[in-house]
Amino acid sequence: MQRLDRIVESSARSLAQRTSRRSFIGVLGRILTGSLLIPLLPIDRIQRAEAATGPEGSPGKMPAAAKGKSAGKPYTEDQQNCEYWKYCAIDGFLCSCCGGTSSSCPPGTATSPITWIGTCHNPGDGRDYIVSYNDCCGKTSCGNCECNRNEREKPMYRPSRNNDLNWCMANADSNYHCSVSVILGVAEK
Amino acid sequence: MRSFQAWAALLAMMTSGWAAASEPLPPDQFGMEPLPARTPHWIYVVDSAFMNETDSRVRVYDADTHGHLGQIDAGFFPGVTLSPDRNTMAVGTTYFARGGHGERTDVVEFTDMTTLAIDGEIVLPAKRAQATPTYFNLGYSSDGRFLYAAYITPAASFGVLDPAARKVLGEIDTAGCVLVIPWGPDHVSSICDSGRLLTVTLDAHGNEASRALSDMFFDVETDPLFVQGIPTDQGYTFLSFLGQVHEVAFSGTEPVFRPPWSLLSAAEAGHWRPGGQQLGAIQRRLGRLYVTMHRGGEGSHKKGGTEIWVFDLSTHRRIARWPVAALKLGPVSALQVSQDEAPLLFLASDNPAAVATVDALTGQLRHTDTNLGQTPWQILNP
Repeated sequence: MQRLDRIVESSARSLAQRTSRRSFIGVLGRILTGSLLIPLLPIDRIQRAEAATGPEGSPGKMPAAAKGKSAGKPYTEDQQNCEYWKYCAIDGFLCSCCGGTSSSCPPGTATSPITWIGTCHNPGDGRDYIVSYNDCCGKTSCGNCECNRNEREKPMYRPSRNNDLNWCMANADSNYHCSVSVILGVAEK
Repeated sequence: MRSFQAWAALLAMMTSGWAAASEPLPPDQFGMEPLPARTPHWIYVVDSAFMNETDSRVRVYDADTHGHLGQIDAGFFPGVTLSPDRNTMAVGTTYFARGGHGERTDVVEFTDMTTLAIDGEIVLPAKRAQATPTYFNLGYSSDGRFLYAAYITPAASFGVLDPAARKVLGEIDTAGCVLVIPWGPDHVSSICDSGRLLTVTLDAHGNEASRALSDMFFDVETDPLFVQGIPTDQGYTFLSFLGQVHEVAFSGTEPVFRPPWSLLSAAEAGHWRPGGQQLGAIQRRLGRLYVTMHRGGEGSHKKGGTEIWVFDLSTHRRIARWPVAALKLGPVSALQVSQDEAPLLFLASDNPAAVATVDALTGQLRHTDTNLGQTPWQILNP
């Protein structure tokens, strides 16, 4: 036992002679910083998101890192799915199912110059984004992928946060076709 | 075999003989069915036709006979209201010159509710609020002299119309407050983002005589008010997202707010919420409030009711909970109650698209009709 004590004491003194306390803190800092950066690498997030998404983009379980504000809700990266994070206050037909994308109108429609605004949480990177819900106008209802979500939506007396209004209203041809969700920027905390 | 053929020949001779002996059907008289006299058990179902919104319509339905009596075309994002004598339906709507596209025409069309024929119109400036149906998109003054149309461009104002002369009288800016709540012969209130009501008083010509802003009676940040008011004897009752009941009297010189009360017990608060498109109705004779309720939270305020809760308005006590699943109906997005002595409750769901008729005293199902439109978001009494 005394021999074991001597070996440990010898190793500790040797280590102390070769290294400083500052270098120890530096190594520890690198380890901690590295471990914090790993979850932010895009490959890691995407793989986890894909693993969480069910077959053909159906809602899946949310990645562990994405839990928080939207905990318990289905998670998907599928932009034709109503549960896609950017659609948190959309009301209408998803343009991504009508010949457009989640942020662009289908061919031959007219973009609406006025809009309502939402704040949606992206579980993929943990950020809140301000999005504008623009309507695509000038053709009759697309009818595909009906989606009505109302997170932080307010009644008509606050028009900028309301989705009960036809936001093609200011277009020369105000017929409503479908809706998109356009990222404007990261929401300030 | 020969015997079978003989019997078959005899049978054929007998049947052809009988056919020849009976009288032929008389020629049909092609014409149009008259509309029967309306009863308190009729309803007007506003189908917003969400899958093809340029084709909204109002269906006339008799809940006693389960009869589909007729239809009123309602165009695009209609606002629907009845004249004080209930003999005229005014539909504020939009049409496009080429069906789904083309030049926009905003118009109020008047339908004679004894014939269902359109008998006039007023063309509006292209400002009409194109919004989901409420009582306050379009409304008559209590004497029928004026008709008011809510405008949102998104700047908010309202048009003052003369329904008798079929013309627009003018437009009144509402400083960001929206919709038209007509009361008395000359008052119009609008709901403001500040949690107040703006009330404009008109002169005899439909011009603004004065305006007044009420005290704040709700907070849009903490507990917004649904804009779908429920008619009462004195005015309208409004529900909030979190289940507060705001009773507003519109019968004096200015709106009077009674102290709000809650639909929810302490244990239910935060778990149950009102929701839908037309989320409440009051049977005035019984003093009962019917509300579509669901389990929900932030953002669930447009979910239809999985239960109908019934309240006694004099005691604020809940007297019944009726689960919708027992009626084989989807979440209820709109409801209405008849005002007669044998009241019926009408419950509409989107999925499946159906309207159920229920005994308003017991909650017992009488009938379910699945042919009253794809998105029946508002039901009016005749």
